Amino acid sequence: MRRRVSLTWGGVLLASGLYAGSLATVEAADPYRIGMGAAITGRFSGGYAPTYEAYKAYFKRVNDAGGINGHPVEITYEDDRGEPQRAAAAAKKLAENSILIINASISATYKPYMTESETDKIPLMFGGGVCPREAFPPASPLIFCSTSFGSKWDSRFTLSFIKEQAAGKKVKIGFAAQDIPLSRIELEFAEQLAKEMGFEVIPVVVVPGTAADFTPFAQKLKDAGADWVFSWAPWGVEIGVFEALQRIGWKGNYILYGHQQTEDELARLRAPNLYAFGGNALFTENLPIHAEITRLVKGQTTHPPHYMAEGWVSAMVLEAALKQCGWPCTREKIAAALATVTLDTKGLRGGPIEWTADNHYRKTTYYKVYRWDPAKNAIAAVGGWTKLDIK
Amino acid sequence: MTQALATTLVVASLYALLGAGYVLVYRASRVLNLAQGDLLTLGGYLLFAVTGTIGAAPALAVPLALGLSTLAGFLIYHALMRPMAGHPIFAAVLVTVTLGILLRAAIVLIFTDRIRHPLTMLGWRNPPFPLPGGTVVSTFDLATVATAVVVFAALFLFLRFSPIGIQMRAAGERALLASQRGINFQFIFALAWALAAFCGGLAGMLYACNIRLEPSLDVLGLKAFAVALVGGLDSLAGVIPAALIVAGIEVLSIRYGNPLLSDVSPFLCLLAMLLVRPWGLLGTKEELDRV
Repeated sequence: MRRRVSLTWGGVLLASGLYAGSLATVEAADPYRIGMGAAITGRFSGGYAPTYEAYKAYFKRVNDAGGINGHPVEITYEDDRGEPQRAAAAAKKLAENSILIINASISATYKPYMTESETDKIPLMFGGGVCPREAFPPASPLIFCSTSFGSKWDSRFTLSFIKEQAAGKKVKIGFAAQDIPLSRIELEFAEQLAKEMGFEVIPVVVVPGTAADFTPFAQKLKDAGADWVFSWAPWGVEIGVFEALQRIGWKGNYILYGHQQTEDELARLRAPNLYAFGGNALFTENLPIHAEITRLVKGQTTHPPHYMAEGWVSAMVLEAALKQCGWPCTREKIAAALATVTLDTKGLRGGPIEWTADNHYRKTTYYKVYRWDPAKNAIAAVGGWTKLDIK
Repeated sequence: MTQALATTLVVASLYALLGAGYVLVYRASRVLNLAQGDLLTLGGYLLFAVTGTIGAAPALAVPLALGLSTLAGFLIYHALMRPMAGHPIFAAVLVTVTLGILLRAAIVLIFTDRIRHPLTMLGWRNPPFPLPGGTVVSTFDLATVATAVVVFAALFLFLRFSPIGIQMRAAGERALLASQRGINFQFIFALAWALAAFCGGLAGMLYACNIRLEPSLDVLGLKAFAVALVGGLDSLAGVIPAALIVAGIEVLSIRYGNPLLSDVSPFLCLLAMLLVRPWGLLGTKEELDRV
């Protein structure tokens, strides 16, 4: 009798143990659901598909290592092709099951994602495209941005850099924008700021992204007598205008925002008068994190490892926020976690990314300038990191 | 002003090469080939592929890529256009639209969306070339103009004096009569497609060497489509003044007007031409009904 009772209790214990175990397995398998809308294909994909690839490689490693807080990270990717109509559909779909949406697409897609974020009260992080004003102080509670470039601050830095390089000489400056709102607005701001800083200013030349030949635009800048030209636009226009200026024998200095293509293009053009500034350290610096990224993305991406920096930083921010969010992680909790993120970028940037309740861009931003150094026959930094406090 | 003139010539040469492709296919088969811009992109990528993958020397890479472009034209005709014989022209035009979409997708799939520079891989340089009057153009600007001149001269001579060229003209002008005379239409149509792909590919290679190579170059095809229509869809000679007009207005609008107008100026030219002379500068009035 005693034996039967103990057997029965043993069975019950075993069964409850198995049940508890199976519950734990179910709970462990339950993922953090994130949505990402990106221009994976389409005319603008060159600047954004690498972010998508970086996310895939980054979270494959995270999940292979057991996930975050014991839970895998499941990212649903939607290709918006950089088109607002597709972005609206993508945002709606991603908002259904995600706790956070990440945008890596052109600024023309921002409105539908932001509308969805506001309607569904879902946090939205920009990680690849230019940071919208809602991420800057006073930040909107649901909008965050990890991208290295940000409007107004980039112009402030660039104009100060040119002034420093000119070393007291009078400079006539021209601007090459693309026919998209953010590029035009930024360079119109730069034009105004340049006047205030004492530069002689040539009005912004707006270049259509579909231009067959950039020569007429370049000619306009050359004929106006530009000593320096500043371009802040998608890469095709930035570099297209520079090369056109080169072709027509212009000898001035050109500074552009260094997108992912910078390393390849500085090495290809070997032009000492081409300066690229940015928030990410180039892989030519051979930092341990660069070696780590190179090793981790090997065979997993269609773009070279040095295209991954922007997406990698964004993925690091997400990982840090998810760790802080714990489990279960809701939309409210992830928004709260993001608002207090402090991330060591391990040298990918000039310093940490720190967000506060009021500042979802970063408390301090860092810039570095690179160019081709003929003496070293290599890409070299022009000085160290420049620090700007964002207020 | 001389610089604007030089730039106009360069842009016009590119448009003319592309426009020739539209006209050749249309004249022979009455099909509007809306994939001509994609044939330009394909040409550029074939050069990139030949140089990068096979590692061919420039003297071999360029002719090989041109040969492959021409072959692509033949294959497109036989695989896609020939089965459309007997179907409405409208259906054949839709096939060219689909072809363009497929080519773009295939290019992104194979070569990714990165901007490429075949010139560097070929080991060539593109130095500025000073001209009288303070004008400066690049070496490949000059090459583009020279190529357009040579191609158009060759096409005129071919169509005027060679037996096959005469057959092409006959097939285009009086199809029924030509067929009764035993002209091999399939060959003529395939040749028209091959020549269109050759012209498009050549334009793509020159553009890729001079400026850059990316999957979205097909937009150039749209501007050249306006050139072909302004010149007259059945007139190869019409392409030349049309290209000069369209390119001239584009360059001048950048230089002296609003640069943003440059994007729409080819279509403004087209609109104006459609209102004044719908069959184009040198096109045939009777063709209008068919279009």
